Amino acid sequence: MNKRKFAPFKFLLIPVILYAIWVIAPIFYTIFLSFTQWDGLTAPTFIGLGNYVDLLNDPTFYTALFNNIKWLFIYVLVPLPLGLVFALFFNRKLPGVKIFKTAIYLPLTLSFVVLSQIWTWIYQPKYGAINVTLKALGLGELTVAWLSNSDIVTYSLIVVGCWPQTAYTMVLFLAGLQNVPTEVMEAAKVDGANKWQRFWKVILPLLKPATIIAVAVTIIQSLRMFAIVNVMTRGGPFRSSEVLANYMYVEGFKNYSMGYASTLAVVLFLIILLFVFIYLYQIFKTEVEY
Amino acid sequence: MKRLTSSFVVTLLVISFIMGISLATLGAEKKVVINSYMADPAPKETLKQLVAEFEEANPDYAVTINTYPHEDYKTLIRTWLPSKKASPDIVTWFAGERANTFVDKGLMMPLDDIWGEGKSFEDYFPRAFKSISQFEGETYFLPQSWYWWGFWYRKSVFNELNLEEPITWNQFLDVCKELKENDYTPITIGSKFRWTAAGWFDYLNLRVNGADFHMKLMKGEVSYDSEKVRKVFEHWKELIDKGYFIENHSSYSWQEGAKFLFNKEAGMYLMGQFIQDVVSDEKIKEDLGFFRFPIIDASVPIAEETPTDGYMIPKNAPHPEAAKKFMHFLATRDAQWFFAKKLNRIAANKNIEPENYDPMVQKGLQMINRSDKVTQFYDRDTKPAMADKAMDQFVKFMAKPGQIDQILRSLEAERKKVFE
Repeated sequence: MNKRKFAPFKFLLIPVILYAIWVIAPIFYTIFLSFTQWDGLTAPTFIGLGNYVDLLNDPTFYTALFNNIKWLFIYVLVPLPLGLVFALFFNRKLPGVKIFKTAIYLPLTLSFVVLSQIWTWIYQPKYGAINVTLKALGLGELTVAWLSNSDIVTYSLIVVGCWPQTAYTMVLFLAGLQNVPTEVMEAAKVDGANKWQRFWKVILPLLKPATIIAVAVTIIQSLRMFAIVNVMTRGGPFRSSEVLANYMYVEGFKNYSMGYASTLAVVLFLIILLFVFIYLYQIFKTEVEY
Repeated sequence: MKRLTSSFVVTLLVISFIMGISLATLGAEKKVVINSYMADPAPKETLKQLVAEFEEANPDYAVTINTYPHEDYKTLIRTWLPSKKASPDIVTWFAGERANTFVDKGLMMPLDDIWGEGKSFEDYFPRAFKSISQFEGETYFLPQSWYWWGFWYRKSVFNELNLEEPITWNQFLDVCKELKENDYTPITIGSKFRWTAAGWFDYLNLRVNGADFHMKLMKGEVSYDSEKVRKVFEHWKELIDKGYFIENHSSYSWQEGAKFLFNKEAGMYLMGQFIQDVVSDEKIKEDLGFFRFPIIDASVPIAEETPTDGYMIPKNAPHPEAAKKFMHFLATRDAQWFFAKKLNRIAANKNIEPENYDPMVQKGLQMINRSDKVTQFYDRDTKPAMADKAMDQFVKFMAKPGQIDQILRSLEAERKKVFE
């Protein structure tokens, strides 16, 4: 009996140790570093809250934070519902549906670096696909330098991110739809519920587990966005498309301000924690049984 | 029993494999490990050949080169240097402030005894190189090669429009005007990665205020928010206001910016000699010429940028004696000439006769010899944190030239934060 009781812990031992060494410990080390000044060469010197005070007076921090919030809102408002629409549409047996499903899913299989590079060419102001098409359609006045106009650059980047993100949420919802029992659907039909009623009253509530995951993942993805920004603009022009993750990288690995970069990491960590916590709290508060 | 035998065999295999490796290296008794950022094919191959030559002359030495991508290297070196275990024997690095950063922290080994009997630094390199290789009276940096900066243009375009290489600022403005009137964009630049804009700031500051003031600014000793620096931006603004720079340049990398010169959409490009590395067409390469950044104030001594690359020995190097032997080899005329010739760079060694160089290189060399001062480059002369923030401001200025006041204030605020 005793042996049995401990068996799961024995199996867990190795992953837990690895997790503690490679994930938990670095988190605490980063928190420690955020109170120091460290160039990565000599020993860190303790400076208390100095980095946090600098952070509050740093305009780039606010730009990055504001941009992250733009990423968050658009990510929740566009790819998430779009992914659901695609999932509902493709959850039927239509001829050729697999081809379209695959086509939409495909960008997700590309690495973000490759994806960003391709979009850099699409956005190229002189010979890029978008501006060339606009000119060919006689809409020359609509052409913009998508990546060097500081007012629109962040939105140009978010569009790139929405593309694979839509595919991602679609897959999550498709998986969720597999768990909607056909009997329930048929019962609703027999009871005379129309399409809208079936969607709002039956499918959506049953998709709740999938939705919870999709929303949480979308929040986290949008707040920790790094690859697209780093490859396409490196936060430029003049930091106008900066996000916290890239700013942290630049401060740590380009400017060798490891302490300040750690401070940014801690703040980013707390922000993600806050958003996910608020969200999950709302979910569990209104938990209902079906 | 069977299991025991098989595990015994496996153990034997593993041991013999490990022994095999160590036996292979045992042949050469003296090891040298070089960590290098020369990741582009041409320089990488050249260094490899150089090592092969050294090993042939010194069969008891075994030199290993570990190559890392340029940008990663700058981060990684900070993990090797303080470590007794991971430290290589030789690192490739940059002269001036970047070398000094490591020397200051006590991470580098002085090279005062590598020159051979009765010889010193000055027997190998021009006296001017002391300021970028010696710190607190001791040599830490071994310069290998350097390149020059200038305005690159297409000879055929200048011929077609009857233009001459401008010498003064006003002549330069006339050339720009002429180019613009003939539907060429006078100046191309790719400012996506920002440092190209820093080149403009450097040169304008060198021409308006001179190298001494420039270096004080780089060291954080004087204010950015001053009339002197404002004048630099005002010269720059004149070109921007007249629409002489190519549109949307912050969308382009420096190579993409160069394409506008190669396809004759643009007239001139302020760039380092390495622009020649990215010309694929031989005809265009022959059609490329360059001239010195025009003189703005004739009373200011002429200064040029000569970014210099070379080698250092870390304090924790496991084989310092062997490393010094190899460093001695790297300093010699023949080794330096071998490297420079292959890559069209200029060797740091002063004993190479100028006529050996390619005519284009000779022109660059002459230009530098007729200069009074040399500097490295903005992000090599000042601290990394300052360079990062300042380069943002330079790109911002090129997009919003009306915001000089605000930009000067931001630069000064950053200087105070970084240096005080």
